[in-house]
Amino acid sequence: MQNFYLGAWSSIGKKFLMGFTGLLLAAFVTLHLLGNLTILLGKGEAFNQYAHALERMQWLVVAMEIGLAAVFLIHIVAAVFFVLGNRTARPLSYQKVATAGNPSRKSASSATMIYTGVLLLAFTVSHLKTFKFGPGMAQGYAVQLHGETVRDLYRLVVEIFSNKWYVIGYVVAMILLGFHLRHGFWSAFQSLGVYHPRFTPAIRALGVSLAVALAFGFVFLPLWVYVRSAQFGSVALHPLAAVVHYFSGVAQ
Amino acid sequence: MTLDAKIPSGPIQDMWDKHKFEMKLVNPANKRKYTIIVVGTGLAGASAAASLGELGYNVKTFCIQDSPRRAHSIAAQGGINAAKNYQNDGDSIWRLFYDTVKGGDYRSREANVYRLAQISVNIIDQCVAQGVPFAREYGGLLSNRSFGGAQVSRTFYARGQTGQQLLLGAYSALQRQVDAKTVTLYPRREMLDLVVIGGKARGIVVRNLINGQMESYAGDAVIIATGGYGTAYYLSTNAVNSNATAIWRCHKRGAYFANPCYTQIHPTCIPVSGQHQSKLTLMSEGLRNDGRVWVPQPKGDKRRPSEIPEAERDYYLERRYPSFGNLVPRDVASRNAKAVCDEGRGVGETGLAVYLDFADAIKRLGEKTIDEKYGNLFDMYERITGENPWDVPMRIYPAMHYTMGGLWVDYNLMSTIPGLHVLGEANFSDHGANRLGASALMQGLADGYFVIPYTIGDYLAGTSLEKVATDHVEFKRVASEVQADIARMLSIKGAKTVGEFHRTLGGMLWDYVGMARNEKGLKHALEAIPRLREEFWQNMMVPGRAEDLNKSLEMAGRVADYMEIAELMARDALHRAESCGGHFREESQTADGEAQRDDKHFSYVAAWEYNGLNNPPVLHKEPLLFENVKLSQRSYK
Amino acid sequence: MTKPMTLYLSIWRQPNAKTPGKLIQYTVTDVSPAMSFLEMLDQLNRDLVRKGETPIEFDSDCREGICGTCGLVVNGIAHGPERATTVCQLHMRHFKDGDAITIEPWRAKAFPIVKDLVVDRGAFDRIVASGGYISVNTGAAPDAAAILISKEMADLAMDAAACIGCGACVAACPNASASLFVGAFLSKFALLPQGQPERKQRAQRMVSQMDAEGFGGCSNIGECEAVCPKEISLSTIARMRRDLWKALF
Repeated sequence: MQNFYLGAWSSIGKKFLMGFTGLLLAAFVTLHLLGNLTILLGKGEAFNQYAHALERMQWLVVAMEIGLAAVFLIHIVAAVFFVLGNRTARPLSYQKVATAGNPSRKSASSATMIYTGVLLLAFTVSHLKTFKFGPGMAQGYAVQLHGETVRDLYRLVVEIFSNKWYVIGYVVAMILLGFHLRHGFWSAFQSLGVYHPRFTPAIRALGVSLAVALAFGFVFLPLWVYVRSAQFGSVALHPLAAVVHYFSGVAQ
Repeated sequence: MTLDAKIPSGPIQDMWDKHKFEMKLVNPANKRKYTIIVVGTGLAGASAAASLGELGYNVKTFCIQDSPRRAHSIAAQGGINAAKNYQNDGDSIWRLFYDTVKGGDYRSREANVYRLAQISVNIIDQCVAQGVPFAREYGGLLSNRSFGGAQVSRTFYARGQTGQQLLLGAYSALQRQVDAKTVTLYPRREMLDLVVIGGKARGIVVRNLINGQMESYAGDAVIIATGGYGTAYYLSTNAVNSNATAIWRCHKRGAYFANPCYTQIHPTCIPVSGQHQSKLTLMSEGLRNDGRVWVPQPKGDKRRPSEIPEAERDYYLERRYPSFGNLVPRDVASRNAKAVCDEGRGVGETGLAVYLDFADAIKRLGEKTIDEKYGNLFDMYERITGENPWDVPMRIYPAMHYTMGGLWVDYNLMSTIPGLHVLGEANFSDHGANRLGASALMQGLADGYFVIPYTIGDYLAGTSLEKVATDHVEFKRVASEVQADIARMLSIKGAKTVGEFHRTLGGMLWDYVGMARNEKGLKHALEAIPRLREEFWQNMMVPGRAEDLNKSLEMAGRVADYMEIAELMARDALHRAESCGGHFREESQTADGEAQRDDKHFSYVAAWEYNGLNNPPVLHKEPLLFENVKLSQRSYK
Repeated sequence: MTKPMTLYLSIWRQPNAKTPGKLIQYTVTDVSPAMSFLEMLDQLNRDLVRKGETPIEFDSDCREGICGTCGLVVNGIAHGPERATTVCQLHMRHFKDGDAITIEPWRAKAFPIVKDLVVDRGAFDRIVASGGYISVNTGAAPDAAAILISKEMADLAMDAAACIGCGACVAACPNASASLFVGAFLSKFALLPQGQPERKQRAQRMVSQMDAEGFGGCSNIGECEAVCPKEISLSTIARMRRDLWKALF
């Protein structure tokens, strides 16, 4: 029992869970972006085919989704309790706060992990509501693909991203993701006890590159869709309605 | 009272083994029934407390710091000697013994020094097993260096932090016993008095430094390992809280004080920069291996060092001591620095410094080599002075560093109060009139790890000790005396801070009982110190309350003791009309200005008995017999 | 002689652990650039005592950067602005005439304030007592030369062993974590052959005690490494975590 506590719930154990799940989430997000890049190919066929291929995996994809949800949950629960524990470790804050500078890695990224994390969680909920649980074939988002009727997710994407307020919200969230990853990636390795005088700087560089690449990729797609949306003729939402729509996921 | 050093009989090589066999043992099951009080957690105190705890005694250990690991043993940089002869350069127990007796200028007790040399090898084994990260050769063996002018490489070291690493070893061992519940730790407690019942040391009275409460602790024996009295000089390389209160108050309760005038001045310290100075920082004397010491030829030369041509520089150590040059022993180097400054040739703003110049060494060996050897010392120098020693020569000046004198102890490290044992720098035993580099760590650990665990058992097993608890009337009486002193200090509310008095006293000691002493100066000091003490007790200003954390009050008590100890130092220095080791009497020097011993009249330990504040102390002599070492005059020409 | 400075200090005053404290303003004049930071405070205290006020309590001992007793947060940085320098070795030449300086104690639940700038770091001693040692009784050691240790390992162990236990890592950490201290203590043993037999148990026990003392957890920000007067590396924290995993699985 004591070993289980130390391994999973001591200050080090929680960081181990956070780091391990964090790396899995980073891998997921990377794959997610690669899949999304199919939007750039053709007029939606590739993207819809990719989405349909995932759906056809049925129980496998459900299992993966449950696993992913578990990973998310562990990451979040460990982080929340970790941060709450840390808050009690210094009951009275300093009157004057500063950073000692290099080699400290205290930055806008490392100091705000819990905040970027909470915002990303809110985004994730909204994002799932908009796309995963958004309008499907029953609502008329259907398209013929190789003789099969499949969900026209591409149309949904184009419609959503033709709204500039949604795009702005999305872009901000993806920049936050970059911030989260910039510290989170190398930090995960450190939390797992991986440190090497030669490789750790490389891991740090890789973390920054990954953060920039993912943020750039995820920011680029909606902008690309938005710029091109005029030619597909999107449904224009009232800006205020878009904001309500965006945050309705959070409230529910 | 006759001074019986209890030196075992027989050949010196067999004394300790024979003695260990002859000593009585405490039954293992009975050890936990004995309570041993250990005051001080430096190398000697921590190693003693840990070892006694391992044996099963019930140990109570006290320190003034917030943690035992902070004791000033940590500051020792250079290393620790041991006669391992790993370098195959001809070292042996006998040679270490011989060097130490000679280095102490033939004023130490042969039997103790021989035992120290014997034990030195066990210390290194013990410390390595504890995980002390001593420096290693590429092959994985322990690295050694030659230190303090020794002709063999017998010094073990851990970067520039040997003292710190050895203390961490002892501290870890101590904390292990805390966990095993054989040792109880009492940090932030200052011992203010010794309780003697039935003629035996049976307890201590301490002040809890956090809440100011008086606390009493009873035990079957008391061990004092609280270091030396160098802070009497105000400016020294000691920590600002290092103090002599524990040993001095034991002295006032009947423990004789031996050789108080034997003090060591270290030659390579960073000079004083102004009135604000609170302590002095030592730089390893290894610097003298490559640095050249010089001052300008003319008096009062205020040019920058780079503007002074070679011909107008006086490399006075190389000039006076052609064979040893810059590597003469500590006392010789210190006295010469003082002499050139007294001539008005000192450098820097205060004129109280000499140059230690690496320009030639950098040219000869290259920047890389010098950086590897001394880089960290150069950084330290620059951090403190703001001057870059790569560009301008370092300025150095001697500073008070170590006290060889201390409470008198016999071969078993017991003082003249039965049951009161004294270890490390606090006792007088092993260094004679001058301590060699890298020997202090050796002595502290020898006393704590390998001597006291045996000898205290002999005392406990051979002594009838009636039950004593802290409700004994004597504890009450001592505690109320201590409390009265504190109340008195707080009530004076005079015009001068304790720090000002301390600085004045330190100045007197430095001037008259410092590197060079003479009859006139010492007689003057013996008049001036009591006058200052009188003023202190009429005009000191101590803020705050007794029932609170109050560092000014702590300091006041310590300075009160320095006022008394200073007088004894001057008295001892006056009575010893010879020069030996760190004690240089100007009246007793050779034609070319070197220290001149007087073995016929002064080959003894001067142990002083306290006789009341206004009565002169009584001198007792322990004759020093040299049966194994041939006395000779030190010469470094 | 360089011109003496006048400084405007805000210093945390707190009578004891139970009474709340606050910043109090002081002006200190005649500060020489050659003074150390603590000597500057000594001077302020001398002036306060002369005025009949209570001096500011702060801890210090060796004043040469090795005992680990001193520790002040100067303008938000533990031990002040100079790298690899304890506050006792910080000199006033790094400040300018007229500077405003805020001085606070180490702040952490595990380091309760004793008075003013003095804190209780007994938690560190208890962590060490929980397992920070090699179990070897006095006299039980083999010959020192019997254990071969490569120079590289000895040097690495020494890097970790250089920790002076001042607690600046805790003070600087946004989470008040003691990970650098514990990591360094574990590392010096973990890197040496003598430390192997108890390596796993040591990690388990010291980490448990660290958490029990109420320190926060490490989120790999590295502020500790930046303020550490001995420049202990974050690699020691990674090693602590590895040792813990190895102990558990």
